[in-house]
Amino acid sequence: MAAESSWESNAWVLALGDQLHAAVGERELIYLIENPILLEVPLSPYYCRQVVLWNGRLLPAMDLSAWLQGQRKNARDWKLAAVVAYQTAPGVTPNYGVLLLAGIPERLRVADTQACYLPKHPDGWRELALSCFRRGEDAIPILDIPHIFTGGLLTS
Amino acid sequence: MNQPAPTTLAELREIQLFAGLTLDGYRWLLPQTEIYSLESLLDIDQEVRTSHSIGAVGFRGEWWPVYCLSGEMQLLPHIPDSRRNCVLLDNHADRLGLICDHVETIAADQHLLELPACMRLPGSPLQALALLNGRLGCVTTTEHLAALLAVHAETPHGC
Repeated sequence: MAAESSWESNAWVLALGDQLHAAVGERELIYLIENPILLEVPLSPYYCRQVVLWNGRLLPAMDLSAWLQGQRKNARDWKLAAVVAYQTAPGVTPNYGVLLLAGIPERLRVADTQACYLPKHPDGWRELALSCFRRGEDAIPILDIPHIFTGGLLTS
Repeated sequence: MNQPAPTTLAELREIQLFAGLTLDGYRWLLPQTEIYSLESLLDIDQEVRTSHSIGAVGFRGEWWPVYCLSGEMQLLPHIPDSRRNCVLLDNHADRLGLICDHVETIAADQHLLELPACMRLPGSPLQALALLNGRLGCVTTTEHLAALLAVHAETPHGC
C-alpha cells in the first residue's frame, strides 16, 4: 500500500439520502450499526429526533438529509447508521455521534487537487461542510463533525 | 420570561426517586418530591380556568390550575380519552396540575445521561435522558414545566 502523502488522504463517502453524498475523514468513522434502534426524543430538532444506544452511551442520531431537504424519513426506514468520533479540542476525550445512512460507506483517497466549491443546492451544505472535493461529476462536501454535533446547527 | 437555569446532571443524580408521567407514549420523569398529590379527573372543575389551563382542582383551600399537554409538551385544548390521572406538582414556588395517561414511581438507580448538545432547543424543559429497561425517559422539573407553560401563556394560541 502506498504511503499517505501530505497532499493525499483517505476518506469515507457517506450516502446521506437519495443523491446526497458527503465525506468524513478516515478516522472519524469508527463503527457501523445495522438496523439501528432509534429512540425518539421529544422537543428535539427535526433533523435530530432520535438517539441510539451504543456502548452504554446515548448518541444523537443526525438525519442530515432532513436538514438539507426538510423532509424526515420514518425512523423504521433507516437500515444503517455510522458512529463518528470527534474532539472539541486537541487532546480531550473524544465524543461520539451517529449519522443515519442510506447506503454502505465507500472508502477512497482524496488529493488536494480535487478541491472544489460547495454545491449551491441544497443551500444547507454551507452549515455542514468544511470544504469540498470533486469526484467525477459530483462535488462531495466534507462534513464538519464537531460543528454538527456540538449544536452548531441550532443557531442556523 | 426568564428561563430557569438548566439542572445539572450532578444535581439530577442526587434525586432518589422519580415519578414517571406517561404522556402519549413518552415517559417524562420528575423528582418524586415534587409530586404533591394524585387526583381523579372527576375532581377537575373545568369552569375554573386560568390562561390555557383546562380547569382547576380545589385542594386545601386553593385552586391549582390544571394543564393538559401532549408528549411533545404542546398544550391540548381537550383531554384525550387515554388520560386517567391528574398529578398535582408543587416545588414550593410553582403549583400546578398535569393530566397524564399513567403515573408510576421509578427508582433513581436508572442511568441518567446528558442530553446531547445538538438536541438542546432553547426553552425546552428537557434536562436529561434516562434509560429505563431499553426505553427512554425524559427528565424535567416542575420549575422547567412552569416556565414552559408561562411561555405558552404569552403566545396567542398557546403553542
